[in-house]
Amino acid sequence: MGLLTDPSVGHGALTSIFVRHHNRFCIVMYIVSVVLFCMLAHYSLSSQTYFSENALLPGLVKGQLNDNTGSSFRDHFRELNAEAQHYETETPHAYLISKFKNLRLETYSHNFTLNYPLKKNTKYTGRNVYGILRAPRSASIESIVLSVPYRAPSSVFPSTLPGLAVMFQIAQFFRQQIYWAKDIIFLVTEHEQLGMQAWLEAYHGTSCGSPGVLDSGKLSGRAGAIQAAINLEIHSDKIDHIDIKLSGLNGQLPNLDLVNLAHRLCNKESVKHTFNNVDGGAIGRSKVNSYYTNLSTMMSMVMTQATGVPDGNHGLFHRFGIEAITLEGYEKEGRGIYSSVFQVGRVIEGMFRSLNNLLERFHQSFFFYLLPSTDRYVSIGLYMPCLVLLVGALFLKAFSTWIQHSSEHKSGDSSAQATIPERLNVGMVSVITLGSHVVGLILLPNLAPAYFTHFWNYIPTHRALLLGYGLLSITIVCLLPIIMNKCLNSFKSSNWVLLHVICLLELGIGLLCVSMHNFSLGYLTALVYVLPAVCIKSSQNRIIVKLLWLIVHPMCSLFWITAYITYTAYPELPISDFLTKVLEASGQWMVLSTIDNMIYGNWAFSVGVLLLLPVWTSFWCLMFLPTNVSQKLKAE
Amino acid sequence: MEKLLFFVYSIGILIRIYLSFSDFSTSIADRVEVSTPLNSWKRVIEGVSLYNENINPYDGDLFHETPLALVFFSHLTSTFSDFYVSLVFIVCDLITAFVLYYTSKIYTENLLKQQTKTKHVYNKEFNKLLIPDDFSVINPFYVCSVYMLNPYTVFSCIARTTTVFNNLFLALCLYSMVKRHRLLGCLSLVLASLPTFYTFGLLAPLMISCAPIDSKKKTGSFIITFLTCGTISCSLLYLCYTIMNEWTFLDSVYGFILNVRDLKPNIGLFWYFFTEMFEHFRALFVCAFQLNASVLYVIPLSIRLRRDPLLLATSLLTLTAVFKSYPSIGDVGFYLSLLPIHRHLFYFMQQAFIVSCFFVGCTVFAPTVWHLWIYSRSANANFYFGVTLAFATTQIFLITDLLFAYIKREFALKHGMKRMINGKEARLMLD
Repeated sequence: MGLLTDPSVGHGALTSIFVRHHNRFCIVMYIVSVVLFCMLAHYSLSSQTYFSENALLPGLVKGQLNDNTGSSFRDHFRELNAEAQHYETETPHAYLISKFKNLRLETYSHNFTLNYPLKKNTKYTGRNVYGILRAPRSASIESIVLSVPYRAPSSVFPSTLPGLAVMFQIAQFFRQQIYWAKDIIFLVTEHEQLGMQAWLEAYHGTSCGSPGVLDSGKLSGRAGAIQAAINLEIHSDKIDHIDIKLSGLNGQLPNLDLVNLAHRLCNKESVKHTFNNVDGGAIGRSKVNSYYTNLSTMMSMVMTQATGVPDGNHGLFHRFGIEAITLEGYEKEGRGIYSSVFQVGRVIEGMFRSLNNLLERFHQSFFFYLLPSTDRYVSIGLYMPCLVLLVGALFLKAFSTWIQHSSEHKSGDSSAQATIPERLNVGMVSVITLGSHVVGLILLPNLAPAYFTHFWNYIPTHRALLLGYGLLSITIVCLLPIIMNKCLNSFKSSNWVLLHVICLLELGIGLLCVSMHNFSLGYLTALVYVLPAVCIKSSQNRIIVKLLWLIVHPMCSLFWITAYITYTAYPELPISDFLTKVLEASGQWMVLSTIDNMIYGNWAFSVGVLLLLPVWTSFWCLMFLPTNVSQKLKAE
Repeated sequence: MEKLLFFVYSIGILIRIYLSFSDFSTSIADRVEVSTPLNSWKRVIEGVSLYNENINPYDGDLFHETPLALVFFSHLTSTFSDFYVSLVFIVCDLITAFVLYYTSKIYTENLLKQQTKTKHVYNKEFNKLLIPDDFSVINPFYVCSVYMLNPYTVFSCIARTTTVFNNLFLALCLYSMVKRHRLLGCLSLVLASLPTFYTFGLLAPLMISCAPIDSKKKTGSFIITFLTCGTISCSLLYLCYTIMNEWTFLDSVYGFILNVRDLKPNIGLFWYFFTEMFEHFRALFVCAFQLNASVLYVIPLSIRLRRDPLLLATSLLTLTAVFKSYPSIGDVGFYLSLLPIHRHLFYFMQQAFIVSCFFVGCTVFAPTVWHLWIYSRSANANFYFGVTLAFATTQIFLITDLLFAYIKREFALKHGMKRMINGKEARLMLD
């Protein structure tokens, strides 16, 4: 109870140490956080993965998928290839439907329409085909999905036809089995993630993005509640390795048990399996070497998750509370040992039979984790302290700023305290914070971009967006200092503690909330913004701090990131070409992000506009607000 | 100051009107932090329509308002359209803010009067501890603006929770405390406590404030106040009986509150504890929790704070808002708006900054974690409980800090702020 009953009116020794050296503490916390984060990949901090859900019983049965009954894989694949060559850019719906019907599945197709949000009267249509295998052992209460995105030969992405042929083979095999207790849905989607999103929205009868953008249509046949889903992208019939992909929309991850299941069964069928294209096995590597491999794997996971964009069709399931992963099979190039499609097929068979055993929804194991390797994980309790340290630096700064301010009032001029009750300029501060948030609200991806493209309708969409957001940012950056200096002279104050504290707290709490949903995004943002934010003072900021803060403007940050990515992709580009390329890429990124927001409900852009931009603007105001410290000094 | 007051009022009204008629109002009304089984408007509507169909609404486990409220809401919804019902709620909030404004004004003026009388007793060097005269103008303004602009009260109002009416009666009760108006005080207290039960603890500050300073007649006055309250509540309960013609409502209202039958998550501490607990310990823990929420603090605090009934009332309201079985943020908003009345104590408070950080943090985290739990299905109940626990702890910190500030101020007024022992500054310890 000492915390509550400590009666000293002045603050304790510990507090005063914190307040006096808060900048040093902040820096130390920052460094400790970064070091701790890098340490997470080490063996001592990550732990071996294990199964929490015993009902999965993986590896209990022997895979039985084979080529002996019905058509063989070769037949399916040859037939499919011939059909695909026939339609260069389209999906052979009729063939798929008849194929599913031949496999004796309940077959349906599903139409959807996209009203392209940034251009009026532009529509795209698509059609998914799916077949349901009804469970012989129960009513249609629960189901499992096996999906393959159909890619026409003209697609820029690698072909998924071998995967589709595997699906046929599996469907044919599953049809003969009697042990299914859950319906199995075989789904072929069109237009990559769009088709998947439309199908999921239609299945659940909701809409996730802005209203009226994606018209998901209606389904004529349904199975039970979907328990889990596996998305299959196999690029060749000779498979080098299976890569298991997890990152979902807005950084949501599937239950770790499902991921483990995939790895464990790949092990059992001796298929080479990787995470982020890095093999997990530590055998034959030195300790230092395996640490670096783990660190780079973890970092690549963080980078993927931070974008908030799913790295496969599985990512769209997560929002509906469905655990899903993608198995991507890469082609074996050259000669050597490869895995056959039957091995992969048996992996899928094993997963489905395990999932078939599930008695309840996935609820054990972890939903929040980082994976440094295929068989190790870092739980939320270990990685969250890294972020808490960064946010703690912001809180410490806010706390000490506030304490310094109030102690000045208490000790300094005791007579003035009564006459001028704490000049905090509440009115002005609330106007600034409200104003910056209103600007953020207007710039939300479902408001401003439509106007920009409408206004500059004669130039490409990505340039219009870049122009719109860029001009607005430049106006704010240039105009605010002038307004602050010229118009607000009557509001002079010795410092603007209240605004400062509000900004710091908003940034801190906002980052914590973001990282609860998407740790990677929160942590990377914190890495960029915490250090400059800690450097800012309530009054009399130096020019270098202002410059530093200008560099991390959300638009500038976007520019730096694209510049870095472009540089790694094309290192030998001349500087002028390089700059135009970066600008174009930034614009395209904004368009993609906007559209993602309106179709899928991805909120990465909204975070930038509703959290980072207002905080940035408020800090920018704070740096240029008139102060009267210089007058005091003169008088003395 | 009048202009500012008017400005704050109009902003408060505009926010309420705008939000009431936008799409936000339904999504806010569905939030567990705002609407509990006891105060949600949805349940009121259900109960009223059952009543109008001549079905006893207390037969099911849906409606938990008193029969008086039932009749009142039935009249309200039949005479007014939906639009005007929202306006009724907004107007009630306005009246509450007005009443609180005058309460604060009278209270601060009384404090100032008392101070001039007893000035000579206080230590000379501590003139700055005395309450400056402008407090009687500024404090009421703060009280009023906190009530009008606080998001907690705003949300509670636009979600049309019955807490709005409850707050109105509580405000009237506090007003009659500072006015020493016994009958109005008893009536409003009974009206406030009938549906929510816990606030009957305010009887203690009411008895103290209505009693004359002369010590001989004190006991008599206490008894009179007590009896008045008792008579009023008995007669109102009988009135309820005549409305329903049976006593089943007692179980539906008080049995429901005391037995904590609905374990839907809220910002309180009951739901998690009683979901996790073994069933055969239930009776024991229900008793322990309910004693803690209702009567445990009344007597000790009344003895310590007998000179300041309004502070006593504030602390009792805070404690019930933390510990009661179905708390909502409307209750929190109400006692928060009472805090500026005690602004002369703020100087001695130490944890104001941390407490306010936690308030903001918890308010933002609760919906975030709720989303993760219910919609994303990735987090679980423990996350949400963690936030509500932090929220409760924060509120306890706040009230403890306020009460200690009161004690410290009393001490400092008598003995001075700095005490030197052997040339060193001495620290005072409270043990």
